[in-house]
Amino acid sequence: MQPDELDLITRDEAPILETMRSIYSAIPMHHLAAIHGKIAGAMVVANAIKDALPLIHGPVGCAFQRKLNPFTLSSTFYDSPCTNLNNVDVVYGAEEKLSRAIVESYEKYSPGLIIVITTCTTDLIGDDIPSAVLKAKEKVGCEVIYSTGDSVGKSRPVGIQDSLYAMADQLICREDVERNEGSVNLINSPTQRNANKLLEMADLLSQMNIKINKVCFDHTTTKDMLDLAKADLNVIGYRMSWAELMKKRMGTEYCQITGWHRYNQKKDPETISPYGLAGSTRVLKEIAQIMGKEGEAESVIEKSRTAVQLKLQSASKELQGLKVAVPVGFSLNLLKDIGVDVAALIYRTQTLTHGVTDRAIQEIERANLGLAEIYDYHPELLINPTPKEELESFKRLKIDLVVAPVKIAHFYNREGFRTVDVNEFAQTEMSVGFLPSLKLCRVFREAMGKVRVRSPLLDLMEFDEGISNLTPHWARIALSFHHLRSTKFSQSSYYHFHGLAGVALNEHNI
Amino acid sequence: MSIIYDPLHDCKMVGALRAFHGISDSMTIIHGRNGCHCGALLLQTLSSEQNSVRVLFSGLKSSDEVYSGEERLASAIRLADRTFSPKAIAVLNCSAPAIMGEDVVGLQMLLKDEIRAKLIAMDAGGPEGPAWLGYEEALSRLVLQMSKGKGETSKGINLLGFKADDFCSQGDLFEMKTMLQDQDLFVNCVLSGSSFEQMQKAPQAELNVLLGGDGQECAKAMQEKFDIPYIAVPYPYGLKKSIQFVEMIAEAVGKQADPQILEKEKERTKKIVERAHMFFQGIYSTPVAVIGESGRAFDLAEFLSDELGMDVKLLAISSCNYSTSDMVDARDAPYEKLMVEPDRHDMNLALKDAGVSLIFGSSFEKRIASELSASLVRLSYPVLDQISLSNLPYAGFSGIASISESIINSILNRNKEEICA
Repeated sequence: MQPDELDLITRDEAPILETMRSIYSAIPMHHLAAIHGKIAGAMVVANAIKDALPLIHGPVGCAFQRKLNPFTLSSTFYDSPCTNLNNVDVVYGAEEKLSRAIVESYEKYSPGLIIVITTCTTDLIGDDIPSAVLKAKEKVGCEVIYSTGDSVGKSRPVGIQDSLYAMADQLICREDVERNEGSVNLINSPTQRNANKLLEMADLLSQMNIKINKVCFDHTTTKDMLDLAKADLNVIGYRMSWAELMKKRMGTEYCQITGWHRYNQKKDPETISPYGLAGSTRVLKEIAQIMGKEGEAESVIEKSRTAVQLKLQSASKELQGLKVAVPVGFSLNLLKDIGVDVAALIYRTQTLTHGVTDRAIQEIERANLGLAEIYDYHPELLINPTPKEELESFKRLKIDLVVAPVKIAHFYNREGFRTVDVNEFAQTEMSVGFLPSLKLCRVFREAMGKVRVRSPLLDLMEFDEGISNLTPHWARIALSFHHLRSTKFSQSSYYHFHGLAGVALNEHNI
Repeated sequence: MSIIYDPLHDCKMVGALRAFHGISDSMTIIHGRNGCHCGALLLQTLSSEQNSVRVLFSGLKSSDEVYSGEERLASAIRLADRTFSPKAIAVLNCSAPAIMGEDVVGLQMLLKDEIRAKLIAMDAGGPEGPAWLGYEEALSRLVLQMSKGKGETSKGINLLGFKADDFCSQGDLFEMKTMLQDQDLFVNCVLSGSSFEQMQKAPQAELNVLLGGDGQECAKAMQEKFDIPYIAVPYPYGLKKSIQFVEMIAEAVGKQADPQILEKEKERTKKIVERAHMFFQGIYSTPVAVIGESGRAFDLAEFLSDELGMDVKLLAISSCNYSTSDMVDARDAPYEKLMVEPDRHDMNLALKDAGVSLIFGSSFEKRIASELSASLVRLSYPVLDQISLSNLPYAGFSGIASISESIINSILNRNKEEICA
């Protein structure tokens, strides 16, 4: 299938959608002051499949609160039927109730797929979910799967990973599959639900005579999910347990385009980012190699890359040598493509310590500095700077542009530093291909056209010295959250907390 | 009977949280899994004032479900006490620890002398019941913290059933206090919308006033313990209910509402209507639906029908209270169809049948309003996609202008070309 036959939704997103996402960006979710829980992740998956219905096996609160989508607060999960468990169910079990609820859900909503999502209540009482689902399946004309959160270990986000794993385990992996030889699946995160950014990659692969079997997730249906089984290769953005399962059960290879596993093999800093001209060339060649199309790939890549390079020459003219401050984590490949000079690298490690080892933190630093050197950047590395230290360095280095999210832009603007928020670009544009470099040029050029000094009303407020996007009260809430979830927790460790409160903690680049 | 249920209301934990969070110098600890905490924190952050969200997490992990999470909870309580110095800490024992049988009451006793804040623990597992029961139980738990000195004279009234995270709640409260003050009636304490110390002094009042019938369990407990009588008053939407609100309270404390003031308010309302009378004429007979909690929605439906002349095709009670059954049985209902705590899917079908052009509801009615091309006036909990910073009320005499503004503008603002038939 050619890319233009893919029937992708080509949504030209209105600017208001970006603003709708952005308006919630200062709310400290995503491991800062709260963690979503597995139900929210499972709801994201159910919501990303057009004809799927989530059925929450639990009490009303699990259904009502989960209407809020903590991954994207601007959207709501409007349909969240549940089995409405009560204390009697807790005592006597609710397997029969679940079976009947599945049948009723089918009759009421006519979905193509029902995803049963268990809750802590049903997990604790030990309902036999597989049996209840099996019993109900005989009476409905749709697919039914269940997600308990137990299949994927610590793969995060657990709810998303587990639901997709359940889908592979209970639905996709099967024997009677008619293969679409020589084809690949391009898999986006179900939180994004817009696969536009995969379009260029799909086009390039097609030119290499690699067929595109499916692109997920974008107006994806249950049938699309079943058809994933036809491909020879899954191209995935990050580690996905379900792709590993497909390889194990069906022999479907997978290519994970991001992740530190590549870097760890050879300690080659150039393998950190799959984006930009260099990263995309590498990943495209790799996919071509897996699919046995190295010959075709060479010319396709060369042609497209050269065309974009030519356009970049004029598009990036006014960005050449611009001094930028960048948080560690953003692709240096892309910044190299647009010609800016990375003069400062800001590395905030404090919240990383909750999920990453000290050794890994050092390795991230080493890899990024190594890559900077390859690109002939000589940035000043600022590790966990206080706001004062950060501003002093920026002034000394004569920084022209700070890469920072809108929620902290006021902090820089009042000091006369322009900012650029790359979150939206990362969400909707950043992908394997050559066009994102051009798009990033536009983002940076627009940022340079903005007002440099402002007097934001936000400056009337007091923000925390350490977590500068939060007020002192919210910073204490965030720190309490981290402390109480810490693996180093012990009964008396709240004393340690008071010491921690004085430590600078910032989440600009998380 | 249907098994699946897409609820219009939350669980006991959130009801209790709404009650405890109204105590302005308290912290609430969610002792449950991270999803419960995340939901609770988000609801408060999106519906309350963002500078006063006071919700913490005990940090319960799956391994604690095997080995107990009491130690972790104890640490959370100590941390909350020392870091935030609250006057009270409410611990809500959610589904998982409630099923595990965590002894939060024992912990409360154990830590009593160690922490400075008053500790209030409550089982609030999801399977134990709906939000309104949690709200009622939580308010009644506060009675144990109240005290009254011997020989103290009773004065003023307490407002019960106030919910600080309701849309326009601060404006409504200010207006209710003003209306009462104009009649020389003094508000002693608001439950829950006071400091812990003010709440402790609630027994000094001579009357408990239940807004829309909410807070009855607490009122009964206070009557028993402190001999304070109570009355239920309508939530004062519109002119008639505002007058009723003032008159009922005045009468209950042995006074008569000043007719001159009420006359003045009528005159003020008349002038408001005059300024946009053609639009008031225009919205007459508009088919509408009201979705909301029992303590507000019955009164809102009556105001819309009786005073604005709208046709309330459907009233859906999203969450009950102890007065709901009385309201259901009342004569001369101002609505055509009533659904009590319906399934959302069923309610949406009823809304489609009703053919309404305006829905009064919560943020969760956004999709159905859009599907029906109806305007949505956000009035009912939870309102998560609209803010109110101006403190304009929807309730009381002053609320008539702002609620009418919202209704009329919600129609005038529409772009006809965007509306599908």
